[in-house]
Amino acid sequence: MIAVPDPASLAPAPAGFLEVDHLSVRAGARTILDDVTLNIPDRTVTGVLGPSGCGKTTFIRCLNRMVELSRGLRLEGSVRLLGRDLYDRAIDPALVRRRIGMVFQRPTVFPSSVFENAAFGLRLVHASEEEVDRRVEDALRRSGLWDEVRDDLDRSALSLSGGQQQRLCIARALAVEPRVLLLDEPTSNLDPQGTQRIEATVRRLREDIAIVIVTHNVGQAARISDRVAFLHAGRLVEVGPTADILERPREALTEQFITGRFS
Amino acid sequence: MSAASETAWAEWFSPEELGHFRRRRSIDRWFGRLLPVVFLVAIIPILDLVYWVSQRSLPTFTWAILTTNPTGNAGGLYGPLVGTVYLLLMGLAIAVPLGILAGLASGVFLPHPWGEVVRGAGDLLVGTPSVILGYFGYFALVLYLGWGASLLAGGVTLGIFMLPYVARTSDQAFSSVPTDLRDAALGAGARLRQYAARIAFPIALPQVLSGIFLAAAIGIGETAPLLWTALFSSYPPTQLSEPTGYLTGLIWNYFDEPPTFGTEVTLAFQAALILIAIVVAMNVIVRVLAERSRRKLEGLYG
Repeated sequence: MIAVPDPASLAPAPAGFLEVDHLSVRAGARTILDDVTLNIPDRTVTGVLGPSGCGKTTFIRCLNRMVELSRGLRLEGSVRLLGRDLYDRAIDPALVRRRIGMVFQRPTVFPSSVFENAAFGLRLVHASEEEVDRRVEDALRRSGLWDEVRDDLDRSALSLSGGQQQRLCIARALAVEPRVLLLDEPTSNLDPQGTQRIEATVRRLREDIAIVIVTHNVGQAARISDRVAFLHAGRLVEVGPTADILERPREALTEQFITGRFS
Repeated sequence: MSAASETAWAEWFSPEELGHFRRRRSIDRWFGRLLPVVFLVAIIPILDLVYWVSQRSLPTFTWAILTTNPTGNAGGLYGPLVGTVYLLLMGLAIAVPLGILAGLASGVFLPHPWGEVVRGAGDLLVGTPSVILGYFGYFALVLYLGWGASLLAGGVTLGIFMLPYVARTSDQAFSSVPTDLRDAALGAGARLRQYAARIAFPIALPQVLSGIFLAAAIGIGETAPLLWTALFSSYPPTQLSEPTGYLTGLIWNYFDEPPTFGTEVTLAFQAALILIAIVVAMNVIVRVLAERSRRKLEGLYG
């Protein structure tokens, strides 16, 4: 297990929960993220807003070391969870990703049953059958999918609708009890109803864990996030409570973006 | 269509547009007419071959030839048939595990550019004439390691021959698993080998299997790697250290005999007929597995 304190000992959450400190990402001569410093508080939804290609996805992939899977990227700066540098050589990225779960743009269910999809992370550590049963049900309830699949957990996950698949992916991440959940434009491939269900799920989850959600949709950021970080061309333009950023932006770039002058 | 709508239709397009599309359409049609010709060019030699082999092998074909050994200038195919099966199984015992490992290495584990190095090595091995592999087996296994011309030396050489086919199809199978799924698995805290075992392998399995059957179908028709390594024998092998017969070897030995040795030539044709039947069956299996794999991947992407 990663050396992260037991959730019970966390309250009250320290000021620095997930801290991004002077983070830059470069690919050759190109700078994708430029000196981003940002604090992500616990039990809060942080929306990462910005136009296409601004580095949102790279940013969120830095938070659980998924970025290391992309070829040819160089990182500077640090990302710390409760003061612990996630990029420390002594820390296993697989463990980082269990405490900082991730859901992607396209639903990424595995070609197996609904149950086995949710159980994936538990099977990796050979959890007991009772524990798997219990945690899978709990995760499916928290992701808001339980009532739709409880009667037939053995059906193929591929037979679910896109929105259901995405909530199954959330359940898969939740089953291993993450402290942070990263969502990379989770609704960009969903219809309005699917989007609504995901947003409701996110609002419920913020009671327990920190959530970072990337979106290019100002409306979505307004609906579900407590804080908004606005990224543009790899730089953090501004960050603050949602109402401040969306209603009284300090920066002209932010205002232009949220009023739809560019996207 | 009424005359009015005809006129309106024509007015919607400029003469250049109409002329351009008319030309393209007529070219399409000409190529369409060529298709049956191309199809015949591909199929006629195969049908001719099957006809030619059947004509010379079927009239004297009896099931008894499958259970009797070749004798001097007559007899059956039992020994070489059993030898072929043993050689193939022994070759697969080498080519399958090593080939799948190589495919996993290049398709999943090795970072750029090392995967390319493994692929390149496989391509080099495919491009090596099989007679060279035969010499390699002869010098390295038969002489240097002192195995002598034997089932063991022949099987290992055949295994090396089939290895790159298994490796290449395995590599393609593992590489075609969507990256999304790799990210999802690693994002849930899986290690690369857990992703490979739990996600990539089940998805890739039909394609890997089709690669194994393809390699077997190519390997079973090979003669050159075996001529100096397995040598030949009319009897089924009883030990790894004995030389063994095989169908292609029998064809090689008997086919050139003068017409006075009619029964031997006929036996060669009968061996060829059995080989063709086995290869066709294996190719059908390859097709079925490939289709299954395609459906599986389509379901994922859909």
